Amino acid sequence: MKRQNAWLLPLATGVVLIAAWFGLKRLFRIESYVLPSPAEILAAAWHERATLLTSAFVTGRGALLGFLAAVGVGFALSMVMAFSIRLKQSLYPFILILQMTPVIILAPIFVLWLGQGLPSIVMITFMICFFPVVANTTMGFISVDRNLQELFVMCNATRTQEIRHLRVPGAMPYFLTGMKIAGTLAPIGAITGDFLAGGAQNGVGGIGFMTITYFSQLKIPALFATGLVACLMGFLFVGGVNYLHWRLLHRWHDSMVRKE
Amino acid sequence: MTSRPIVNLEGVGKRFGAGAPVLEGIELTVERGDFVSFIGPSGCGKSTLLRLIAGLTEPTAGRIVVDGMTPADAREEVFLVFQDANLLPWRRVAENVELPLMLRGDPTDRRRERVGEMLNVVGLAEAAEKYPWQLSGGMKMRVSIARALSVAPDILLLDEPFGALDEMTRDRLNEDLLTIRERDPFTAFFVTHSVAEAVFLSTRIVVLSANPGRMHRVIEVPFAQPRTPELRETPGFLSLLAETTRELRLVRR
Repeated sequence: MKRQNAWLLPLATGVVLIAAWFGLKRLFRIESYVLPSPAEILAAAWHERATLLTSAFVTGRGALLGFLAAVGVGFALSMVMAFSIRLKQSLYPFILILQMTPVIILAPIFVLWLGQGLPSIVMITFMICFFPVVANTTMGFISVDRNLQELFVMCNATRTQEIRHLRVPGAMPYFLTGMKIAGTLAPIGAITGDFLAGGAQNGVGGIGFMTITYFSQLKIPALFATGLVACLMGFLFVGGVNYLHWRLLHRWHDSMVRKE
Repeated sequence: MTSRPIVNLEGVGKRFGAGAPVLEGIELTVERGDFVSFIGPSGCGKSTLLRLIAGLTEPTAGRIVVDGMTPADAREEVFLVFQDANLLPWRRVAENVELPLMLRGDPTDRRRERVGEMLNVVGLAEAAEKYPWQLSGGMKMRVSIARALSVAPDILLLDEPFGALDEMTRDRLNEDLLTIRERDPFTAFFVTHSVAEAVFLSTRIVVLSANPGRMHRVIEVPFAQPRTPELRETPGFLSLLAETTRELRLVRR
């Protein structure tokens, strides 16, 4: 019964929302160029499927590369900062400065340096995803139980052993939390990248690029369809990270362990 | 060689920063094979004393010699059983027991053999593949003891290892500890709040007073080894229990 509820409740909510959408559109006679109906959006998505598939691929590639770069660099940098207070003190303010500079401002600079297209999009995604990974992972590396640290001292463990067998596994839950946040941000970052720094081949670019195109052509149902694609991509990313979270933690971590 | 005391505390004192001393004037000579219990009111520095012998912190007065070395240098011969089981939650039971052997670089097959042996000793062979969260408090403590014994330490420091357990489990583990010691006759330092536990296990009981922690009295425990659970019902045991409780009441004022 409980398990069924987990599916039924959101499904019912969805049905109610879509019915309300149809109803409002009818009741107030809202034109389709202002608010298309769900059916019109699906039809437009089908009609534009070739274009949308290509743009999803372009955006997905940028999102994935930017995400992976943020995760890799973020992890490495956190480790470095966790083991040298001086390095942390030197670097952290600048990481914050980067985080606080709006992407809108950074984007033209990336375009200036890297040109329009993938490299700039990856950089923009990286900038958006990087901070949550660093902030969480650093926290994980420094919040290791004192007693466990002393256990490693009693074992005469070397620094490298302590990092490998205590700090890294201990930081995993934090690292994965950072990754989850980065995972939700990655598609948004890449679409923003398309929007601000994306190029196009034969009139087809990333999802962010197509948003501008459809808007200027007043293809409003297709514009809504890009939103649908963006959502699906977001779910794919979050699903991927959730799967990784489950793989790495389900055997031992409190967040995953079932109490019977 | 054998007559040399394994641990010698000479006028040991400890204060943290500019605060009042936690320990003062601790004088103790411990022979190989002794089982020494520290008992006293909270704040008497019992745990600090163990940490000093472990070399996890340094004395601010006096000198500690462990097998002719400083505590930090002697660490290979010493292991500490922590207050809570202190297991790595991401490692299975067997992997937790294996940890100290792995860290000191023993070859894999020897490690595996030793881990199997230790799990048998503490009666947890069945649980080898479990994770710590799947174990009861008593089982976790057994894993912790198996881990400490895996390196066959000459000196075992136990910091209130059974404090959080119910009395039945505690009695069982006390008996197991003595059985294990017949096999591996390590020298033990044992911090506890339980007088019965101290009398049952020890060859000597050090009663400490608090604020600062000083030696109040050393009580010799004359019962022969090996000890059996029946010892707990003998008049000799009960009168020593009463005497120790009385001493403890004196310092508790």
